[in-house]
Amino acid sequence: MKKYLILLVCLLIMIPAFVTANGAQEEKEDGKPVVGLIMKSLANEFFMAMEEGAKAYAEEDGTFELMTMGMNSETDFDSQVNAVDSLITQGVDLIVLAPADSAGMVAPVKRAIDAGVTVINFDVTLDKEALKAAGLPEEFLFVGPDNTDGAEMVGNYLGETLGSGGKVFIIEGNPGADNAKQRKNGFMKAVENHNLELLASNTAHWETEEANTLMTNLLTKHPDVQGVMCANDSMALGVVRALEAAGRSDVQVVGFDNIPAVKDLIMNDKMLATVHMDGAEMAILAFNAGFEILDGKRENLGWVQSPLILADKDFFK
Amino acid sequence: MAVDNIIELKNISLFFPGVKALDSVDLDVRKGEIHILLGENGAGKSSLVKTICGVYKQNNGAMILDGETYSPQNPLAAIQSGIRVVYQEFNLLSYLSIAENIFFEKLPRKNGLVDFKRLNADARKLMDKVGLNQVSPKAPVESLGVAQMQLVEIAKALSGDSRVLILDEPTATLMPDEIDTLFDLLKTLRDEGVSIIYISHRLNEIFRIGDRVSVLRNGKMVGTHPAEELDIKSIVKMMVGRSMENEYPFDETVTPGDPLLEVNNLIFKGSPHPKSFTLRKGEILGIAGLVGSGRTETMRALFGADPKDAGEVILHGNTLNIQSPRNAVQSGLCLLTEDRKQQGLILDMNCVENTTITDLGSVSSRGFLNKQAEREATEKQIREMNIKTPGIDQKTLYLSGGNQQKILIGKWLFRDSEVFIFDEPTRGIDVGAKYEIYLLLWKLAAMGRGIIMVSSDLPELMGVCHRIAVFSDGKITGELERKDFDAESILTLSYKEYLHA
Amino acid sequence: MSEKSRLRSVVNIFLKEVGIGVVLLVLVVAFSLGAPRFFSIINVANIFTQISINTVIAVGMTFVILLGGIDLSVGSVLALCSIIAGKILVNPELSFGMAIVLSVLVSVVSGMLIGLINGFISETWKIHSFIVTLGMLNIARGLALQISQSRTIFNFPKAFNDFGTTTYFGVLPAIFLIALILVILGSIILRNTVFGRMIFAIGNNEESVRLSGHNVKFYKILAYTICGGTVGIATIMYMLRMSIASPILGVGFELNAIAAVVIGGTSMSGGKGSLVGTFLGASIMGVLNNGLLLIGMGDFARQIVTGVIIILAVILDTYRTRFSAMLND
Repeated sequence: MKKYLILLVCLLIMIPAFVTANGAQEEKEDGKPVVGLIMKSLANEFFMAMEEGAKAYAEEDGTFELMTMGMNSETDFDSQVNAVDSLITQGVDLIVLAPADSAGMVAPVKRAIDAGVTVINFDVTLDKEALKAAGLPEEFLFVGPDNTDGAEMVGNYLGETLGSGGKVFIIEGNPGADNAKQRKNGFMKAVENHNLELLASNTAHWETEEANTLMTNLLTKHPDVQGVMCANDSMALGVVRALEAAGRSDVQVVGFDNIPAVKDLIMNDKMLATVHMDGAEMAILAFNAGFEILDGKRENLGWVQSPLILADKDFFK
Repeated sequence: MAVDNIIELKNISLFFPGVKALDSVDLDVRKGEIHILLGENGAGKSSLVKTICGVYKQNNGAMILDGETYSPQNPLAAIQSGIRVVYQEFNLLSYLSIAENIFFEKLPRKNGLVDFKRLNADARKLMDKVGLNQVSPKAPVESLGVAQMQLVEIAKALSGDSRVLILDEPTATLMPDEIDTLFDLLKTLRDEGVSIIYISHRLNEIFRIGDRVSVLRNGKMVGTHPAEELDIKSIVKMMVGRSMENEYPFDETVTPGDPLLEVNNLIFKGSPHPKSFTLRKGEILGIAGLVGSGRTETMRALFGADPKDAGEVILHGNTLNIQSPRNAVQSGLCLLTEDRKQQGLILDMNCVENTTITDLGSVSSRGFLNKQAEREATEKQIREMNIKTPGIDQKTLYLSGGNQQKILIGKWLFRDSEVFIFDEPTRGIDVGAKYEIYLLLWKLAAMGRGIIMVSSDLPELMGVCHRIAVFSDGKITGELERKDFDAESILTLSYKEYLHA
Repeated sequence: MSEKSRLRSVVNIFLKEVGIGVVLLVLVVAFSLGAPRFFSIINVANIFTQISINTVIAVGMTFVILLGGIDLSVGSVLALCSIIAGKILVNPELSFGMAIVLSVLVSVVSGMLIGLINGFISETWKIHSFIVTLGMLNIARGLALQISQSRTIFNFPKAFNDFGTTTYFGVLPAIFLIALILVILGSIILRNTVFGRMIFAIGNNEESVRLSGHNVKFYKILAYTICGGTVGIATIMYMLRMSIASPILGVGFELNAIAAVVIGGTSMSGGKGSLVGTFLGASIMGVLNNGLLLIGMGDFARQIVTGVIIILAVILDTYRTRFSAMLND
């Protein structure tokens, strides 16, 4: 008996780690539309900031009820499916979803639409093939940034700084992730634009320590490197630290995301620039697109681009 | 040539690095005979058996099975050739039923599923044959006693078409009536044409069932003789290369002194009858009874190895509060379990580590081990106890059964315990080593220690003990002083509680 | 001791301690030939840095695995400790010295406390440590995220960051020295103390040890506590190396540590193994990761080759065990 009790307590403690659901329980009686915001991992500062911004907006706006849900990890696809299903059951009006799996989330989205719920896809696009297969339009509305463009923008900035022929590394994100592929493509365009010499392009799976190890090893192999393009800022942190350890202040680093930790690095010239993406702003764009659809003012098709801004020293001043 | 030999071994040699396990051994076993294989531990019996049943491949020599060359590549091939072995260490899956264990290799099927009806019916037949008639074939093996497990092993060996049945010390844990049943069974099988190779340390059994006897010593075949031409003396001489005067030593000069340990009204789970007994200084107290009569369980509860519900344990007049083996050991008790390998030795560790484990405090200071002191203490122990090992760094796994038992005794001597509880101390040990163990018991008694010895070997108990307490179905049904020792009265007491059940 | 048995024991010791070292040697030679910069002082120092954290976690893991247990929570506990220690380190109210001492102390004590809880639950209710530490993996990660609100902590004092990149004599990084000291200390504990003897004995045959009159539960819980303590130390090393603390770091660290322990010849069922082996195991993993990149192998191929070599190393180990058993039979 004791044994089960302890197990139960452990399970209870663990629940918040799996799915964090906050916000309103069906308060439809006052006629306000209910919006469910399903994000990826709340362990990611980007989504944490997004959640805070979205909640603040909902409170200020006052015309809708917001429920937010975050997952355990970036790839926690099962919990996302469960989250969509439970929102359908609760009868929300609008689901705003950042898919953890581009193809896998299409089926639950289809279920939601069939149940009469409007779904807005944001942050990461749903897979076109899968959409088609599910009988949904290929150009299903997407609210989000153009990762390729953003990466090219910050890559170009690095290229201008180094000049033609500059020698660079690309530190890639998780090989399976769409945004990792798009960011790499953007970096590759910048390499072409500025005639840069690409010495190495390897993945560090979005992780600081792995990027640090990778950078240290790449430095041994190619000590002549001049610039590094990182597919996210967490990896840029590891890269900058590797350069510090090697006593190399001559290598320029750019990143992506603008997490709080990089501000000081950019201000102290340890990093050149990053790409600022405002998660809350993106979520708000998605909400408003959703309300327009609910009001019949818009079709659920196309791409609402959320802005990406180059964040260099001037940006933070 | 008319083939009347089922299996012939010619000039078999088996080498391990540095050891000649078998040295040009010849052996022939006739169809329908019970062939006794004797030898001290380490004489090569196991190696010989393992060669016959395909575990080892001989380096030299040939085997002929029923007139044809026989060269099993693995144990399965041997089983398919009709050679079955019942090992001393059981090979059963304890959570499965008896029937499933017996037919594990070839469960009867119907429509792709196990045909339990047929399985249980087939098992029932074999179980009746081996005398397991009071138990259901559906009962899990873990619910059985050691003796019954042995019978399941034999039933399993009979489940196929066995031409040669090899039994390794089958009677070690059996009670006299169980032995009788087994022997009747073996004789029936023999008369049906099955050849039986029978390994035992109980020399008196030879004359009850053996047709011919072969003796191994140091990997060599000493000789094969018809059983009726031999007597115990000549067999022992063949085995040890010298004659042994007395099988059981008894030292008249050691007389029990004051009470040392008193156990009053001990009760534990599954054994509601209060058990009380007293042990005196310098006394060897024997515990007799059937397997499953609560002997082992009582000793474990006394020692704190299993929880007890009630009961008083008094040592030197002081009441002890024993909640765990740790309490018992600190009070001066020690338990040498029946299962030396699982609950006694740490097989993968060496003689030193096994010896000093009972009292690491005495060979360490501030938590740091004094390895030199450990080695010296162990060397002394090994010398005094005449333990045969290539060195103190040898893993105990590689020692013979008798030497393993001596290491176990040695580890408790190292701690200087006052009460030694032995559970089946001579099980699976050869004659020579048994004798040395008895001498050790007497040495302990002479030092004023108290000794409790649980044993299923009645002659051994009667030969070695001052006093015998008899267990029957969880009760102590009687105590006998040495002058009153008599096999019949001990057996009567052993069965007392089972008769009116 | 006869000549033969002396030879046998020499061969045994060689196989036992050096067997896996041969694999490491082969890798080092191969990479030195394949990549000119591999055997340079700077690269050796880099590898030392890269294996340090895994080595320290694996030291603690060795204690637990020797008991036949496992600790899956180490990566998450590292994250949790880093958040707690990081918050102390950047606390403006504390003087620099105070902040350092406190953060190290709190990190180690937190790690030990979690290890103690793991061990206590596992031993008291006889739940396999796989389950208990799997639960703790989630609890610690959740707590780390909760406490930090999933924010990375940075801006550590400069002196702290500088110590993290210090290298003595050009080849001995400061954090590697910490790792080395822990390997040596751990080895001494395992080989020369009563506690170490108990670890091996319990790992081999817990019931025998209990019946020999020892408090098995105490020693087992102590081993988990030590494992937690090493994670606390590894946390500080991580912070020194990366100059950040984050609730999402350390994912998968448990598997790297287990791999190092097992490659190093420690048996997953307990009772057999050594910290020298563990250190060699961690070195093999570090050398592979570094060397394969330097000879220009792609990301995916590198992952495949690493996996193959882990399995090969363990297969080799079974041959070693079989061979030495044959010698003794």
